[in-house]
Amino acid sequence: MEFPAALFPSYFGAGPPQEEGGSALVAGWGEHGQVLEGGTGRYQVQPVFVPRRGATGERWEAADAAAVPVLLPSAGCWIPSPAPQDILYYSGLCRKLRAGKSGATLDFARQLGHFFVDHPEDAFGSLGRLLHKNFYLGNSKLKVIIPRNSTIRMTALVEDIDRLEARRGCPRQHLASRLRWFSHLCRDWLFEVPLGLLADCLHEELMQQWSNLLFDDSLTGGALAWLPPEDGESSVGCLVHPGGQAMNHLYFQDVVLEELPRTRGSPAQFELSGRIQQVAAARVDGQDFVGVRSDYHCGVWRVPSKRGSAPTPLQVIRTDVPASCLTVSPHLPGELSVCTQSGTVYLWSIETGLQQLRHDPQTMFFRDHSPWRWSDFTAHPRVLSCADRTGLQCLDARAPRRCHFDLFKVGKEAGCQQGERVVLPMYLGRAHPSQYLVTTQFSMYVLDERLPLVPVLKWAHMMKAPPLFAQLMPGKSGRSHKVLLGASRTQELLLLQYWGGSQSACQLVGTPQKLHSIAGCLQHLPTQLPHHHHLLQQRLAAPAAGLAATLQEDGSHKSMLIFQLSEAGDVFCQRPPLEEAELQEPCANPQPSPAVPSPAAALQYRRWLRALSRACREPPRHTWPPSLSQRRLFSRRDLEGPAGPSSLQRQMRQQLRQTMEKGGRIQHWEPLALQPPPLPQTLDPAGGLDPLSARLTAAWVGDWEQWWEERTSFSVAQRQRALRERRRRQKRAHGRRSLSASFTSSLTYQSELSELSDTCPPLLSPSRPPILSQEGSPPAGSPPVHSPAPSAAPDEALLSSQNLRCHGIPKERRKTLRDYLSVWTEAPPEPPEPTGSQASQLCIPSSQSQLSSASQPRRKRPRMGF
Amino acid sequence: SSNEHKLNFKKSKEACLSYIQDALLQKQWQRAAEFLTCYAESLEKDYSREHIGPSEMIWRIGTEILWHHSQSSMKEFNCFMEQMKTLGVKRYLKVCLEHVFHLLCNGQIDEAYQNLSLAESWRFGEQTAIQDKEMKLIQAYRGLLDYCSWSKQKNILLEHNEDGFSDLAVEQEMHGYFRKAAVNLKEIIKIPGVWDIFVKCYVDLLEFYGDHNEARQVLNEYAYNSKFPANPNAHVYLCQFLKRQGESKKSLISALKILHDIVPSHELMIDFNTMLQKSKKRKKRRLGLEVIFAALDYAGWKENAKAWSCLARQVKQIVISEKHLDWVKQEWNSRKDWWPAFHFSRYLAKRNWQENKSLSHEKALVAGILLGKGCKYFKYVSHQGSKAQLKRFRMLKKFVNRHNPVYLRISG
Repeated sequence: MEFPAALFPSYFGAGPPQEEGGSALVAGWGEHGQVLEGGTGRYQVQPVFVPRRGATGERWEAADAAAVPVLLPSAGCWIPSPAPQDILYYSGLCRKLRAGKSGATLDFARQLGHFFVDHPEDAFGSLGRLLHKNFYLGNSKLKVIIPRNSTIRMTALVEDIDRLEARRGCPRQHLASRLRWFSHLCRDWLFEVPLGLLADCLHEELMQQWSNLLFDDSLTGGALAWLPPEDGESSVGCLVHPGGQAMNHLYFQDVVLEELPRTRGSPAQFELSGRIQQVAAARVDGQDFVGVRSDYHCGVWRVPSKRGSAPTPLQVIRTDVPASCLTVSPHLPGELSVCTQSGTVYLWSIETGLQQLRHDPQTMFFRDHSPWRWSDFTAHPRVLSCADRTGLQCLDARAPRRCHFDLFKVGKEAGCQQGERVVLPMYLGRAHPSQYLVTTQFSMYVLDERLPLVPVLKWAHMMKAPPLFAQLMPGKSGRSHKVLLGASRTQELLLLQYWGGSQSACQLVGTPQKLHSIAGCLQHLPTQLPHHHHLLQQRLAAPAAGLAATLQEDGSHKSMLIFQLSEAGDVFCQRPPLEEAELQEPCANPQPSPAVPSPAAALQYRRWLRALSRACREPPRHTWPPSLSQRRLFSRRDLEGPAGPSSLQRQMRQQLRQTMEKGGRIQHWEPLALQPPPLPQTLDPAGGLDPLSARLTAAWVGDWEQWWEERTSFSVAQRQRALRERRRRQKRAHGRRSLSASFTSSLTYQSELSELSDTCPPLLSPSRPPILSQEGSPPAGSPPVHSPAPSAAPDEALLSSQNLRCHGIPKERRKTLRDYLSVWTEAPPEPPEPTGSQASQLCIPSSQSQLSSASQPRRKRPRMGF
Repeated sequence: SSNEHKLNFKKSKEACLSYIQDALLQKQWQRAAEFLTCYAESLEKDYSREHIGPSEMIWRIGTEILWHHSQSSMKEFNCFMEQMKTLGVKRYLKVCLEHVFHLLCNGQIDEAYQNLSLAESWRFGEQTAIQDKEMKLIQAYRGLLDYCSWSKQKNILLEHNEDGFSDLAVEQEMHGYFRKAAVNLKEIIKIPGVWDIFVKCYVDLLEFYGDHNEARQVLNEYAYNSKFPANPNAHVYLCQFLKRQGESKKSLISALKILHDIVPSHELMIDFNTMLQKSKKRKKRRLGLEVIFAALDYAGWKENAKAWSCLARQVKQIVISEKHLDWVKQEWNSRKDWWPAFHFSRYLAKRNWQENKSLSHEKALVAGILLGKGCKYFKYVSHQGSKAQLKRFRMLKKFVNRHNPVYLRISG
């Protein structure tokens, strides 16, 4: 434990950071920082100076053309986390208005709407049931049979809502007074969950999601660990990584280190009850201890260093608040440190349980809102560091309240910038027992516990995203220590080297070097179909979720082995070798990375792709607009509605049209096939029937009451009149029945549509009544003015009230269901093209369809039935 | 429109910068240099008000490329630096400093000195706080180089003295260097910071001219001023000075005690312990035990045979004399729950035995006394020792067996 005889000069001041903030792309280049007289100390000859940064270090070649997959993708497709467009408010107008302004608008209203539509039972359950009878959704006027004083007609209100929906994003949208009135009236009581509370929760969740999108610190530390072979005796290490669709399976996979790492045997697998956020490992006394953190659970496993022996789960703890950190002690077996977002730090020992070291919801050095906390071990096994965004403190576990000192402060002490925050602290004990790494979004610092607050090394890393992962590869016998920094969102990997700390002061050596990211291998994969390519691109560009690295020596050949885990669960690896002619004069252009992958890598790519396409045979949902499986709501037969009018129907329609043009009437339909099934009893006079048949016939046509009267009445005249009357009625009934049987409502509807489009193409022509003024119900028999949005057409058959009624869906539910289904059809931003034959049938010019969708209610009222 | 032009220009500037960055991170210096020539255009239309403007970017990138490019020469580098100095007034001193650093690292001490002198005479308007700091550094480095020259002259003079000459001119020159160096070095070490080399040089100068009081004051200030960081070297320099001055043990011990308080794991703690063990005062011997126990708490001392032998010696003494067992007991109390796993596991016994027999001997002695003869570490080592028929391990076993009851008193 020597301390350097002289350190690099630096100023020291206390207080808040003074340098102006801002991440600069080039801030790390071209500076030696300081120099130190590094010679013998006797100035007899020329003094020798060494720079703090810029000395020559080891040179690592670029290994292969790109990173190579290590594991084959597991079955089940990856579900990507929400993207900005899922929760942000996007509108062309909005974008124009906000041009130049930073900041995003959360689409709160849409999400709340989604909740009401997706969970109507939870949102309105009990009052919906109570009000079921009092809301009327029909088109026609309220009839007397419905008790008028206790029922209100909601149709207009619904139309208002639809109209509002259509004018989304319009700056001049005024709330219809009716809606205002209604919402004023029922805001307090209609909702199952009080609206204010619900909105608060939703808003909180949205903010959470958005801040996660901006910067997700739950992944800090990374969920990948490499357990190296014991003392280089064998070449079998163990890769600990999460997997499964929810990343809640923990795998211990033996990996043989050859030219490309190769898995051996099947992995030991554990299913956990939450998404694995962090996997931390340390080797103590020849045994590996692996700590696993998910949000509310932390667990620890012991892995014997002899490969092939099964890992043993040791203990699990549950936390009430999400844990933000779990580190494993490199000093004592079975000791870990845990932090939770409530600001509590625990020392967790397998034998003695949890010991709370600190509980402070406030940050240490100045106020910062982030609940993130971190803790790690130090050179003293009883002293733990604990960190928040503002700095690091070291606590003695034996007297945490009394014995502590500040190790790092975001402030003038370390020459920080304004707005700089701690992202990841890491104990560098394997390189030097008292060294510590602290990364911020701008810089990386190396600290020495023996000289707290003053970084012994500082360098602006210039990464585009904050480094959430770091790995240390200690250099033995005077070689430089390698530090690997990894970012999550951008998958950046940066290799740095430093030495010193004992005999000499710390120096950053060599030049920082970028390593391959997972996404970089896309160009080396065999050519794919465009949409497969797109999916692949999306998968490979998934944020990184972990990093593991080790130095590998076989004989004289040294190489670095780097594993990278993505959120999709893929583990890729690269193996840059040490350039043989190291420490020589720098050359202008080192070996550029090979343009094509080696044959072994190419083979691995092909195998991986094959496995991927097998695992995700059905295209993942997320690439299509969300769709609802209708199979569960209706049987297949229900859905097998007529896809389009058959030739017969077209013929019929034409005939009907011709007849209407002539003003004539259709006596009977020519194609006999369309005739309704004959009634059990035809129009034979009732006289010839036996009493029972007559009575049944009467009952069939619905005139049973009259039949009874006839039976009881003795007046011949009366009977004659009644007979005539009945005959007429029967005739009429026959006619009606044949009509309704030959057309389904949706077909009628479509025929009208095509008529409309044939005869009067401009729906909004001045001759028509302006559609927006149509508030109440249209007068009976008036021509249909609402043109349905073509995108909704496929659902209309499904949604027609007849169809719904015949499935026994009560009136109130029909509306909900229709709204529910319509959401799915309008979810994609562009109105989808009507498919296939329908488009040709409808013949509505696309411009018009957009017009109508913009200015009219999207959801069509069913036009028949009520 | 011009606005659009501006935007496009900005975009292509950014793209160019990211290409350069990419090339630099992949050590493609030639490619980076070619992109940089394109980027130089951004100087003409510098609309940015960013923290780091294009001129600074060009300075930084250009420097980095010239450091590594195989065809770059020192001449080119100097030329580039001169251009960069004129490019931005705000950064003049910074660029000068970096230029000097590069010259120093390449052994061009005289050129560096010239550059420092030039930079020192630079004036432009009112200095900002940062420029003030940079100026002080420039002066300090010049002082350091003056000190180097002084040291050289001093050595020449000493050689001559040995030969019996005396050279007045050289002596005059040396005194000149002293004055120049002392003025500048004195200035920088007043400001809070880490000034190890400057302090060392200044103290060396003062000591040579016999100004011990000033030297002591400087060192005291550097070590004990609370505005300065808790730099262990400050205390080390003070201790070394006290030793050189032949000061009393008491003042040395008090200086080392402070070092022990701030860095219990410092390498001087072994010397400190030996010093305290020799003391006749009980209190100091007690402190010595504390010091060595505290040092061995740290992971860096785990395999330090010297430290273990210090502890073993002192514990053995205590056990034989059977006095002050309570000291050991007290120290052991706060460690007994974790030292066995940290120091005395079977795994470590095996490894220590393989790697360093004398270390395992000392550790086994301590383990045997503190944990009794049944402890894993002691059992393993004594077993291996008797297998290997080594005499001192036999003695060890005998000793521990004889004093086994002590263990009960310590742990009880």
